[in-house]
Amino acid sequence: MEKSSEMFWTGLTPDEARQALVRKDKSKRDKRCTLEDAVARFIKDGDNVAVGGFVNIRQPIAAVHEMIRHGFKDLTLSFQSGGMAIDYLGGAMAVRPDHFSIRRVEMAYWAHESFGLSAVFRHLAENGLIELEDWSNYNMSARFKAGAMGLPFIPCRSPLGSHVLEKCRAKVIDCPFTGTPIILLPASNPDVGILHVQAADHYGNCIIRGTDATCPEIAMASAHTIVTCEQLVSHELITRSSKDISIPFMAVDAVVHVPFGAYPSSCRRHYYFNREHMATFHGLATMARKGNLDGLRAYYNDYVFGTKGFQAFIDHFPIRKILEEQHSEQQNFERLA
Amino acid sequence: MLLAGNIEYTPQEMIVVAGARILEDKKVVFVGTGLPMIATVLAIRTHAPGIIPVFEAGAVGPTLESGLPFSVGDSRTSSGASYVRGLNAAFEMTQRGFCDYGFVGGAEIDPYGNLNSTMMGKFPEEYQKPAVRLPGSGGASDMASSCERTILIMPHEPRRFSETISYITSPGYLDGSPGARKRAGLTGAGPWRVITTKAVMDFDPETRRMRLLHTMPGETPESVQAATGFTLGIAPAVTGMAPPTETELRMIREEIDPLGVFVKKPVREKPVPNQF
Repeated sequence: MEKSSEMFWTGLTPDEARQALVRKDKSKRDKRCTLEDAVARFIKDGDNVAVGGFVNIRQPIAAVHEMIRHGFKDLTLSFQSGGMAIDYLGGAMAVRPDHFSIRRVEMAYWAHESFGLSAVFRHLAENGLIELEDWSNYNMSARFKAGAMGLPFIPCRSPLGSHVLEKCRAKVIDCPFTGTPIILLPASNPDVGILHVQAADHYGNCIIRGTDATCPEIAMASAHTIVTCEQLVSHELITRSSKDISIPFMAVDAVVHVPFGAYPSSCRRHYYFNREHMATFHGLATMARKGNLDGLRAYYNDYVFGTKGFQAFIDHFPIRKILEEQHSEQQNFERLA
Repeated sequence: MLLAGNIEYTPQEMIVVAGARILEDKKVVFVGTGLPMIATVLAIRTHAPGIIPVFEAGAVGPTLESGLPFSVGDSRTSSGASYVRGLNAAFEMTQRGFCDYGFVGGAEIDPYGNLNSTMMGKFPEEYQKPAVRLPGSGGASDMASSCERTILIMPHEPRRFSETISYITSPGYLDGSPGARKRAGLTGAGPWRVITTKAVMDFDPETRRMRLLHTMPGETPESVQAATGFTLGIAPAVTGMAPPTETELRMIREEIDPLGVFVKKPVREKPVPNQF
């Protein structure tokens, strides 16, 4: 029994996930802390870590940099569509496997849309360095939703008939009501969710602008949730529009105020992508995939390992460039100044 | 060299124009990243202002007036949207039947419109260590499963059009047998058109195999077949697709994708120094 439960639940089983919440201190208390403390306290080797955001939108970059500096072994990463945050984690494994490693990914998509494929993913997958479990975007999102709903599984119609179902833990059954085939997706209850949001109060109530991606579901499904935010606002301010709060404080364990915490991915209302920097990283990763790891190693030494905290990472970017990203987002966004 | 009047254009620009032209007004279109975005915006600004675009990251009905999105989740898809939630909400709409068209791409396609965007190599043996690892499904398999009709967009090369593909990421007509989709439990009607650099294809209602419907300018049924790795059927009345109009080309180049992010321009122009 123990073996099959391990196979089905790479994070927590539904019962364990429920017990984790029963045991958890859900009180309304000040959860502000440093990113270093949050990562050290809530993540451990072998954990299933869910990563929020969508491709290069609101990726929790500051949190993954801290995870890399801390060093973890044998992580499982769960996400629907991942971009820079996942590349940073994968790249760290490529340059320092002794210090940081991913054992397994459960995902729908790992690439960069208009910015191209992920050389990091190709490197890790084509060399058989990580265990793969493919799903679709809806599958992963619905798995987190099932976890959030406290259910062991959720039914779904896609992608019936595809090869996706042959190498993942989904089951196809005949619907007991209609008799037609339907997919049952096992819930995902990660050990830890890491998310970046536009605004949070010190209790952990969060407001997300633009797409929610699957962040609320991840927060509600995970045993622990670490949130970084652009703006740390008062409880009075955030509860003035309570219906805008998509993650309630009870789901959150750590709140860290990290301006630019998703940079160089984008964060609605705050900054658009830094395309040039992402292209630079992809260039180094492509060289690494082809066998020359020097450039990528130097990048990690300069930008991740050699910096103390995320503000030092942001210090690498000229203020003019940062302002361009901010200005660009204001052009995208039809808000009055 | 392809010419519309005196204007040189590329096969890629023709794909976009064809994609726009076959979209109907007032329909809900679930839009994938890249060329489908350009085609949808072009359709909205030409003959189909009532199209309601939906993006899988969660935005429904944005105006797309603040610039071309780089991602189906970026700010430009949220601005002016009537409804913005997340991925679950978007896919639930598709599953429920709110989405008339899905616009999908892939790396490899078979005669039944099954698409691969996961891996190249032997499946299942090499799944954990593929010869080439592609990004994975993203939302493509959900769109191909549950949008009522799907439009597939691909570059037309023999190696991409193959009798058997490495992996089925996004289901088309599966093995092509009668009722295969329904038997599998799929609700959407399936692939409707395949738009490529050389042709527009549909699917034979009986055999469900891909067949030639329109040739792109400069192409013939023979040249399209020569670029296809399986035997292509021929629709009862094959017609030529008219070349892009000057207006369509001007809109793509100057208004919709002025930086050539997804659609490369035929003439090497002065690079734009910085998109921001």
